[in-house]
Formats: sequence, structure tokens, C-alpha cells
Amino acid sequence: MEIGIRPIVEGKVTGSVLLSPSPISFLGDIDSKTGKIIDSESPIYGKNLKDTIFVFPRGRGSTVGSYIIYGLKVNDVSPLALVAEEAETIVIAGAILADIPLVDLPDKDLFSILETGDIVTIDTSEKILKIQKRKE
Amino acid sequence: MTMFLTKDQEEMLSGVKGEAVAKSMELIVKIGEVYKADRLIPITNAQVAGVSYLTVGDSIFSFFELLSKDAVTVKVPTWLNPAGMDMEKWREMEISEDFAEKQFRIIKFYEGLGINPTLTCAPYLIGHTPTHGDHLAWSESSAVSMANSFYGARTNREGAPSSLASAITGLTANYGLHITENRYPRILVDVRTKLESFSDYSALGYWFGKKFHSLIPYFVNIQSLNINEAKMLAAALAASGSVALFHVKDLTPESKSIDIENVEEKIEFTESNKKEVYNHFNQITEGADLVAIGCPHASYEDIKLISNTLQSRQMKKDIEFWIFTSSKTKAVIDADSLLTNLESRGIKVYADTCMVVSPSVSGNFRNVITNSTKAAHYLSKAKTTLVNLLPIDSIMKEVTE
Repeated sequence: MEIGIRPIVEGKVTGSVLLSPSPISFLGDIDSKTGKIIDSESPIYGKNLKDTIFVFPRGRGSTVGSYIIYGLKVNDVSPLALVAEEAETIVIAGAILADIPLVDLPDKDLFSILETGDIVTIDTSEKILKIQKRKE
Repeated sequence: MTMFLTKDQEEMLSGVKGEAVAKSMELIVKIGEVYKADRLIPITNAQVAGVSYLTVGDSIFSFFELLSKDAVTVKVPTWLNPAGMDMEKWREMEISEDFAEKQFRIIKFYEGLGINPTLTCAPYLIGHTPTHGDHLAWSESSAVSMANSFYGARTNREGAPSSLASAITGLTANYGLHITENRYPRILVDVRTKLESFSDYSALGYWFGKKFHSLIPYFVNIQSLNINEAKMLAAALAASGSVALFHVKDLTPESKSIDIENVEEKIEFTESNKKEVYNHFNQITEGADLVAIGCPHASYEDIKLISNTLQSRQMKKDIEFWIFTSSKTKAVIDADSLLTNLESRGIKVYADTCMVVSPSVSGNFRNVITNSTKAAHYLSKAKTTLVNLLPIDSIMKEVTE
């Protein structure tokens, strides 16, 4: 299945989905040293962002969150790509600084289609997100 | 959509002027494209957040390394948000050596970029007053709201990196509150109860922001809006919601010229709405251990009011009283003996920081009284702290003898 997306930061990557159904505050919810989700109220508490295709509705909270995204990259625990329902300045700035592919405005409801563990490819030159393999 | 860039701007983006300038341009252009800006516009000045080591953590140092690749400096006058400690009295605040060392490094880096280390959330109180119609790139949410609403300048609610990128390039993307049509109010608020203290203004802002998130309000029946009242309203609107602009009939600069035709909804702010806010922040069950004033940073008049209310009274035992302000205002109150008077009664005045961005408040105190809903909001989010919201005169009665 192919889903249309809007590219913001370019790239082509394939990886395993980590899906957060709730908005993410990069400052406070994530440990930039390890890539772990440390917000105990998060449905994906304890999961790690490293090398995932991180799918979430939107960023929230402090704009310092952009520096946390950059920190993930420097500490080599960053996601392969960020997929938001709607990107806002915190996530855009973070993705640009860290040079992590970022897309948003999917033309289908990602949260009813995707599951954590699905293998997907994002290709910003084609403006698509393609599901390669379902979670086993 | 691609936005229009001048030849000079294209060059900055392409890396001709170094990597730091190119990254800054990329950031501004990409954000502009997402928000459908047609072009970039010059800014008059910038106000940069991302200063307190408590909030930025070690990630900031990697980012500084990236910027250090070129000898880059800011193109417009730029001011800094508060740090995580008083830069002189940090030991008295029980800040660790390690924290202090990192905080000094952060500020030194910003200074190296040519940024003025004002370390305040309220630059407009110390002479950096925005001019009507100026385009700015400010990031402290309460200051953004003051610049737009009280001064009629134009700034979006910038992030820490985007305000810095604008400072480095002298540019921002033309979208959002830079455009006249986006500054019209969407909802009329009839204020049916008297606003008698700074905390009443703060309660109004908190109530509206919580209910209507980012809508631009047009307040009617507010009788007075001096700078100290306005900053409490502005900060609260931006803390419980993300309101970056408000209008008050006859009292804010754009209120006379704006179009209120598009107002879709009319609501009332009543005495019981106001009480709801005070009740929400009435959490302390045992004795309070700290009074924290200065969110946003206290002005000269704010501090004078506290001093006047004190008269010949002293602070009670077992409770601390901290006022947060800028170093510049602190120097003024020091010069006219206000500071000595307060200190002799047991009241401490800390500069450069505040109860929200310093670890010394949430780390050392469990029960905090304040007159600011913004401070109350953030302090009670850290679940170890309970807060009471009270007007200054009630606070002074409660904690002095």
C-alpha cells in the first residue's frame, strides 16, 4: 500500500515503524542520550527511537525540543525518519538541524493503517510512504 | 510552493557564507514553506530562548559545535531569555558546581555570537521596547504576546532554534502574525468581573487560554491595562494556551483599527470563572515554604508595591520569599535602597532566572505561593510541588507579621 505524503526534509529510508498515538514533547518525553521514551504516561513508554520510522500526530511542549532531536542524532540514537500528521516548528527545526528525513500530511489515516513493527519505505522524491511488510 | 528568495538570500542558503548561515537559512525557509510564506522579511531585533541548562541539557553543546564551524555573529540586536540560576548568587540558590559551570558555558557561547546576555523574559521592562509595526523574531511566549498585543509589533511565537536562526540571518518568513489579516480577533470576551490585582489579570488569561487554546481574543470592559497588568495577562494566555496576540478595546494599539466583523463567538468572563482559577490553584494543605514572585520578571513598580505593602512588617519564620527580576532592574532597586529594605526584612531578590527555569525552586520547595498563573501552571506540572495562587496583598498579610 502507498500513502501520499508532503516532504519537508528529504531522504529515502526503509525501516521499522514505531508509532505514538499521542503527541510528543521531545523535551521531557525522550532521553536524548539513549533514545528511550521516558514519559511514563506514554503508550510507548520504554521503547527506543533509534533506527525506527517514528510516526506521531504532532510535536508539543517546549521549543527547546528541537535541540533534543539534534542531540539524538549526535548521540547516534536518532530515528531514521520522522512522520507527523502535521509537523510544527519544533519538529521541523529539529529535523533540519539533525538532517533527519521528515514528512507530514499523509493522505490516509496512518494511525488506523500502521502498527509498530511494520516495515515501511519513505521516499521524499516520490512523495510516498510505502508499506513493505506487515509486522509478524 | 517555493517562496521568493533574493540573490543574496539564495547565496546564504547555498553555503557561500558558511555552514552556520546556510543551516539558519534552511531552517527559516523550510518553516516558511510549510506555513506558505511568500518571501522572507527583515527583522528589527530578536529574543532567543534556550538558555537555562535545566531545559536545554547537554544537547545544546552539540548544537553549539555545529554553529562554531564558522565565525558567525548575529545581524540584529538580540537578547537572551533567563538562565537556570542567578549568575552571581547561584551558590546561595543551592545550585551545583556542575550545573553552574555548564550554565556559564552556555551564556559565554551566546555572548560570542554577539548576543546581549539580558537573561530576562521581559526585555521590554529594561528599555528594549518594541515599536509599533516592527517585525521581530521573539521566542519567549509571554514576551511574544506583549510585543504583539501591548506594543503592536509583529512576531510569531518562534522556537528556540528559529529565533536564533533569525538573529543570525536578520530575516524571518512572512507568515502568521506578520500578516495583518491574521491579527484580527476571533472571539469577543466580555469581562463581567472586576480585575483588581495582577493575579486577577493572570486568572483571566489562564481561563481563556485553557478554554480557547490559540484563538485571538478581543476583550471588552477591561478598565485599565498598564504594563504590569498586561504582562500578567499575556503570560497566562501563552502558558495555558498558545495565544500570541490579544486585543483590549480602547487600550491596546491595534484595537481601534482592527476589523471585528469576523468575530464568530461572544462569551463572558464572570466572577465565578475567576474563582474557578483561584480554586484550581488552591492546592497547599499544610504550611507554605516559599513565596515566588516575578513571572514574568518583576518590574521596578512590582517590587516597589511589595516594599510598600510590607511597611514595618517582617517575614514570618519558616517561609522564604523570593522575587525574580532582571539584573538591570535589580541594579535600579539597589541604587535607591529598595533592595536593602527588602533584604533586611528577609526577602531575597534573584536576577537572571525564575521559578520556572531554575532547578532550585521545584527541587527544594514543596509548597509554593505565587501571584502568577503561569508560574503556578508550570510548578504544579512537576508533580512534587503544590501551589496557591493569591494576590500580592493577601500574600503579604499571610506571610508577614
